[in-house]
Amino acid sequence: MKTLSTIAVGFDGSHDAKTAVRWAFNLANHVDAKVVVVHAVGMLGRFEDRSNEKELEESVHELCDDCGIDRSRVRLHVTNGDACSVLMRMAEDPISADLLVVGSRGQGKHPGLLLGSTSLELAEHTTVPLVIVPSL
Amino acid sequence: MLIMNGRYEDSGHEESGHPERPDRITAAMEGVSDLHLGDDLKVVAPYAATRAELARVHAGTYLDELGAFCYAGGGDIDVDTYATYDSWTIARYAAGGGLAVIEELRRQNEGVGFIATRPPGHHALPDRAMGFCLLNNVAVAAASLVEQGERVLIVDWDVHHGNGTQAIFWDKPDVMYVSTHQSPLFPGSGAAYEIGGMGALGKTVNVPVPPGATGDVIRRAIDEVAAPAVEEFGPTWVLVSAGFDSHRDDPMADLLLTGGDFAALAKTVAGFAPHPGRLAMFLEGGYDLAALRTSVASTLAAVLQHSYENEAQSSGGPGTEMVQNAQAERLVALRIAREAASKEDYPS
Repeated sequence: MKTLSTIAVGFDGSHDAKTAVRWAFNLANHVDAKVVVVHAVGMLGRFEDRSNEKELEESVHELCDDCGIDRSRVRLHVTNGDACSVLMRMAEDPISADLLVVGSRGQGKHPGLLLGSTSLELAEHTTVPLVIVPSL
Repeated sequence: MLIMNGRYEDSGHEESGHPERPDRITAAMEGVSDLHLGDDLKVVAPYAATRAELARVHAGTYLDELGAFCYAGGGDIDVDTYATYDSWTIARYAAGGGLAVIEELRRQNEGVGFIATRPPGHHALPDRAMGFCLLNNVAVAAASLVEQGERVLIVDWDVHHGNGTQAIFWDKPDVMYVSTHQSPLFPGSGAAYEIGGMGALGKTVNVPVPPGATGDVIRRAIDEVAAPAVEEFGPTWVLVSAGFDSHRDDPMADLLLTGGDFAALAKTVAGFAPHPGRLAMFLEGGYDLAALRTSVASTLAAVLQHSYENEAQSSGGPGTEMVQNAQAERLVALRIAREAASKEDYPS
């Protein structure tokens, strides 16, 4: 079985996303993997306050400290696209993630809604294993 | 003659503060009015695309989900894209507008089509809404033409890459997809090395340009990268994903095009059509209402050979080198893919 060397986890700042990031960090600690925390910037992203990215970075650092993972093994990757496409690109060169991790719901999503569910869309299209972390 | 869709009441697809709003269609129609076309304007009745027409490019399960979501009251589908109770109906009229205009163009065997509908379509994937788009309007029209034996060229000059259209026709040899777009920018796809699947190698042409690029750079992309591929393809129809968010006043991106640039682009692209009555332009983006109005007027005046006082063309922005690199990157990707195809015995 292939060793896990890079884990990509989706992060939109929501409670569910934080749960997924914690899960990814804990796994990374066990298997000595690097983690890429991925934030997708949508079409309306250019109108967002630039401080949002700083807040995301601070949030990731806090989560690193909570989980006891060395910050040098974690990278925040902010990139253009919808969450599903951006995460699928993480499985390709140059990131080449071996595992994708997402929360079961993102910002503003309603339980049970199929349309627009990143986790369900990823489950259908991903080329690498996917972990969907349930909300707590 | 300009053949245009009749406007279906689209005010029910709106979310407070969202830039993709009904006023956009009003602005585009004002751009048409500014040309004072009189009897040279024919408006066809609004038409809602059927499930069978949509299912040529969209998964049935997606259509079912989207319809059910809307009828349950709608909401946010993702961070950019929304739907309301009325969106399913309005989106089907948006997709049907292209079918109706093309049908009339075929009947008249002359003229130019302009489809001003919303929501726009070029980000919509076979099974997913995104980037303000629910149904892929230009793809629905292209698929209909392919079914009638046509070879369709889609030129997409929206500032964003039309990832949905590209994905739908990725492996389809009867459709060529050409896109110029700003990079980096949403949706993050559209690299020059994306050249089509093994069943349609070279039939996807992407030319990304940097923020600040001007009209001369886009014209160069079309003339030097796209035109040779289009000539080889030999389209029988030309559809344009006419997004006007590459205008210098548009808030969604950073290109610096003007109405004069759209006029020049439109003339070039119209030249790809084999004869009159085989060109239809679909409104995609364009969020500054004044820029949208003047850009629509400039574009249509150019293809109708109608007089209109255009903004001056823009030039001198960055991107010439990026266009040259795109051509080189594309040729390398094509060579590698064709070598792989010959080894694997893929059709090419």
